[in-house]
Amino acid sequence: MNGFQLYFRLIQISLLSRMQYRANFIAGILGLVFWNIINLGLIGVMVTQFTSLNHWTLWELVFLYCLWILCHSLYSLFFSQSTHMEDYLIEGTFDQFLLRPANLLIQVLGRELQYIEIADMLIGITGIGLAYIQLNLQWNAWLWSFFLVAVVSGAVIELSMNLLIACSAFWTGRSRGSFIIANQFYGLVHQYPIDIFGKVFRVFVTGFLPVAFMNYYPAVLLLGKQGQLGSAWPLSYMSPLVALLLVGVVLIVWTLALRRYSSSGS
Amino acid sequence: MKIFWAFARQHFHSTAIYRFDFWMRVSSIFILMYGTRWLWITLYSQRPGAFGVSLGQMVTYTVLSMAITNLFFTGPPYYMAGQVRSGAIDGDLLKPMDFHFHMLARSTGEMIFRIFTITIPGMLAGYFLFDLQLPASVQSGVMFVVAFLLGYLVNFHLEFLLGALSMVTLEIDNIDWAFHATTRFFSGQYVPLWFFPGLLGTLAAILPFRSIFFVPLSIYTGVMRGSAITQAILFQLFWAVILFIVSRWVWERVQLQIISQGG
Repeated sequence: MNGFQLYFRLIQISLLSRMQYRANFIAGILGLVFWNIINLGLIGVMVTQFTSLNHWTLWELVFLYCLWILCHSLYSLFFSQSTHMEDYLIEGTFDQFLLRPANLLIQVLGRELQYIEIADMLIGITGIGLAYIQLNLQWNAWLWSFFLVAVVSGAVIELSMNLLIACSAFWTGRSRGSFIIANQFYGLVHQYPIDIFGKVFRVFVTGFLPVAFMNYYPAVLLLGKQGQLGSAWPLSYMSPLVALLLVGVVLIVWTLALRRYSSSGS
Repeated sequence: MKIFWAFARQHFHSTAIYRFDFWMRVSSIFILMYGTRWLWITLYSQRPGAFGVSLGQMVTYTVLSMAITNLFFTGPPYYMAGQVRSGAIDGDLLKPMDFHFHMLARSTGEMIFRIFTITIPGMLAGYFLFDLQLPASVQSGVMFVVAFLLGYLVNFHLEFLLGALSMVTLEIDNIDWAFHATTRFFSGQYVPLWFFPGLLGTLAAILPFRSIFFVPLSIYTGVMRGSAITQAILFQLFWAVILFIVSRWVWERVQLQIISQGG
């Protein structure tokens, strides 16, 4: 069995065990849809009163929001387990993984399919579709392919950032706090174009916690708003590069982390 | 009151364990204050003085909102759902204290604890770094405290009802999420209700949620004054009493139905 087969076999098992709770599944989907409608509603109320947000119109903001959701759903559907590393380390579950003759990363990631995220994916696609029509976008083949690559890159970027934060638990024993902090940044970048914030913030979400490459930079290109970036316009093409770079960093850190690992003993 | 202090003291004693948690919460507030301040500065630069509210008032509203957010949502629903799931609810029901009051005491103890550890540092940072202004007048300041406490009671009872519901359905995450989404929208936590158009505005004016953030914050910033304050406080009082009665009524019925798991 190669890595991919193993991954999907693990996912299949977790799906079967989860399907027992169907009512919970439906409630979860409704909850997600509701949550996103509320968030978009708040942005909607704000932008209707002020016509735009730093030259971003309502539907451009919907696009920005939904692009993030789409990347996130792709990540979260398959890899949301990456945030649970801390629990595995503390509870000693990680020792079980080490005993099995299979790739560790695949075992961690394959523990569960967050199938509720299908809802997010549908919201993302619907929102982007509506925005596409409302904004009269006419993408050529190149922009369509860039869009698809950007979505995958976005998912890879979120996965890599979360894995890096999760790996910090190998050194500090804890990563939950860093996740809480990171989530605040994710939330802001998710909902608002980063050009409304101060310079320090923009540099931070571009260079240190590059969450802006999930939605802001690709959206600037896809919506033809490169004027917003001024001389920094090349950044709008860079999502795939950032994703590749992060994967490299993750592989290095993961190797170091494993070398560093010592069991919690429980 | 003694019981509330007892619970607050208990939280102080466990600070050592929660020190990390504390730093995370405080840092999160700073990030949110920073973000929301810029958001409104940008919006107001496009249309200064929108709705007769100055930029200073708007920033104060939103920064203060972030500072007091942690005082609500002190977690009774999760406590109640967790106790049923683990079976520990038996012990709670055996205590010589009314369960509803016990929850109020727990929650208020935690709230008092968070005033000192999170809100006051948050407000100081807000004042020095994020343009948080002092209350519009002495009267605004005093009425803000009154309105906040009433808003706290409204929110507590909504959460208590949510907890009671979760004890029957044995599910909490999704219910809590839907509740939070509704509060986020209709309480004025992020976007003040004066921006809400037509039907949405009417709906927000009727629902109890505006007691939680909107009323205290509008009073503090001086957007709401004079007889409007009295009306808003009566509105909060009305909902607090209604929700109190409903909570008692619901609890009478739910406690007979609890099926304790585990144990």
